Amino acid sequence: MAQIRLKNVSKRWNNFVGVDNFNLDIADQEFLVLLGPSGCGKTTTMRMIAGLEEITEGEIWIGDRLVNKLEPKDRDISMVFQSYGLYPNMTVYENIRFPLKVRKVPQEQHHERVMAASKMVELDDFLQRRPAALSGGQRQRVALARAIVREPNAFLMDEPLSNLDAKLRVSTRAQIKNLHHTLKRTTIYVTHDQIEAMTLADRVVVMSKGLVQQVGTPMEIYDRPANTFVASFIGSPAMNLIKGSIEGGVFTSEGIRIEGLTLAAKGPVTLGFRAEDASLAQASGQIEAPIYTVELLGDATMLSMRVAGELVSIKVNKDYRAEIGELARVAIPASACHLFDHSTGARIA
Amino acid sequence: MSDAVAQKRPLALNAIIYGFIVLWVILAAVPFFWTVWGSFKVEADFFSRESWWNAIFGTSTTRQTGNAFTGAGYYGAWVLRDFWRAAGNTIIVTVCVTVISLTLGTLGGYALARSGRNYAFWILIAALVFRAMPHITLVSGYLLPFFQLNIWGVLPTSIIVLVAINQPFTLWMLHSFFLSIPKDLDESAMVDGCTRFQAFRLVIMPVMWPGVVTTGLFSFLLGYNDFAVTAMLLSAENQTMVPKISSFLGSIQETGNVMYAVAAVVSATVPLFILVLFFQRQIVSGLTAGAVKG
Repeated sequence: MAQIRLKNVSKRWNNFVGVDNFNLDIADQEFLVLLGPSGCGKTTTMRMIAGLEEITEGEIWIGDRLVNKLEPKDRDISMVFQSYGLYPNMTVYENIRFPLKVRKVPQEQHHERVMAASKMVELDDFLQRRPAALSGGQRQRVALARAIVREPNAFLMDEPLSNLDAKLRVSTRAQIKNLHHTLKRTTIYVTHDQIEAMTLADRVVVMSKGLVQQVGTPMEIYDRPANTFVASFIGSPAMNLIKGSIEGGVFTSEGIRIEGLTLAAKGPVTLGFRAEDASLAQASGQIEAPIYTVELLGDATMLSMRVAGELVSIKVNKDYRAEIGELARVAIPASACHLFDHSTGARIA
Repeated sequence: MSDAVAQKRPLALNAIIYGFIVLWVILAAVPFFWTVWGSFKVEADFFSRESWWNAIFGTSTTRQTGNAFTGAGYYGAWVLRDFWRAAGNTIIVTVCVTVISLTLGTLGGYALARSGRNYAFWILIAALVFRAMPHITLVSGYLLPFFQLNIWGVLPTSIIVLVAINQPFTLWMLHSFFLSIPKDLDESAMVDGCTRFQAFRLVIMPVMWPGVVTTGLFSFLLGYNDFAVTAMLLSAENQTMVPKISSFLGSIQETGNVMYAVAAVVSATVPLFILVLFFQRQIVSGLTAGAVKG
């Protein structure tokens, strides 16, 4: 049983604020992803939970223990590092066994538990090698095995996939998801990759500049971004954001007019919509503009055009072909539009 | 491949290149071999005024001892003049200096490498300043207090002074080795269940050996070759090898004393050869930076 609770947690270095007033309850067995661009404080938050970074202010609870003053080893967590952090002088077997050894787990259990952990990450064939003789993906699996061998209350993973190539990333991602399902431990996972966040998380915490921007399930964050930062960070391509004004439920800006929006908003706003929610219109569309580029993605074709000074992406059928400079008409259903405050970026509707 | 490269070069350039290598080998190695060869002659040969061929053929040696080679210099130095005692003192001094320097250096270097504080930098700068000072500056300052405390002339005193002189260097050297070991290694050890010290001992030290061996060798050489400190701070009966050799040279009233010095020099050099050959692999890997990869 390990809920993790962060209460008003802050981290400052002199005047620099790393993490500002972080509040979160992480449920037992939850898979939580901390997502944000580099320097947003996500890794610092995780390191504070691990005990590798001192907490300037606030409280961190793991289970029913206040862990602020506890050493990393006493927090009953295990961690997977971005650079793996394997011990180069030990074999894979000894690497995986190391946590059991230093924690004085009875000798007779060691072999069985090392074998079980290595089997789980399919490392059985490499146990006698040293880390230097392994590929990146194999090293990462050793790091995973070393983390799970002890069966701690919680796993912390700091960008574990970012040093792997694209293909390996997909398969290791699946493996991590499966491990979480099998082991049922609270997992906190740090990444800057929104696809990892979407695929792995029960809940995602989007962070920027030390502040939590939004907490929610992947679909909540995708479908109802709390502000323009989240909107532009989640999704590939990012949500199209157009500055303009709204009056009587009609949004207008240079080259775009959308009717049937909320009547509550008035004045200057930022309108957002996702590339896949727009479609090509036959007669008249909400946007009429010349095509800027056509990108063939294989499963779809991406059009972009300039609207109100912004480059707007539209995802269309994979068979669609057009020349650059041709006029395109784009239909955007009002239901797919998001409205954000033009200055704070916070969601209006 | 190197043959192919050599063939492409003009003959004259090749001649210059090999000529330079030969010259360098002669400059570096011949004085030593000359000394080794000469140490088995008598003074009249090795310092012959007639012809330097005497030193090679041992004309006077044959005349005086009946054989072209003589161990008289070694016998005189080791047995008559107690060079064995100096050798023993050198072993004590160098081993102590190396062990103490490395112990303090690894602990301190690790702490400085992992500390995020500003003063860690200033400690290293201070260490650099003390490293740059000539050794003799420290010694002259120590002399009077050592006399008054009545600790002048004994081995522990010079061991402490040599450690003090050597420590800044070991600290710097080991500090940079520790920096080359990723912090993730300590951190994963600590998450895995180690205390800070266990992480240092079980995880960091095992990958530090090239650094420790290299630094240890330099510490060893400092203690072994030191003249300034040991000559000033040790009484005649506690002298280490280097000041002892110097004292052989200094008292030339008796014939053969210079040959004692020559024999002693050779005796003092041989262990260094063995040491470097024995540790060469670690030294090379240590000098080519702490190549520690995960």
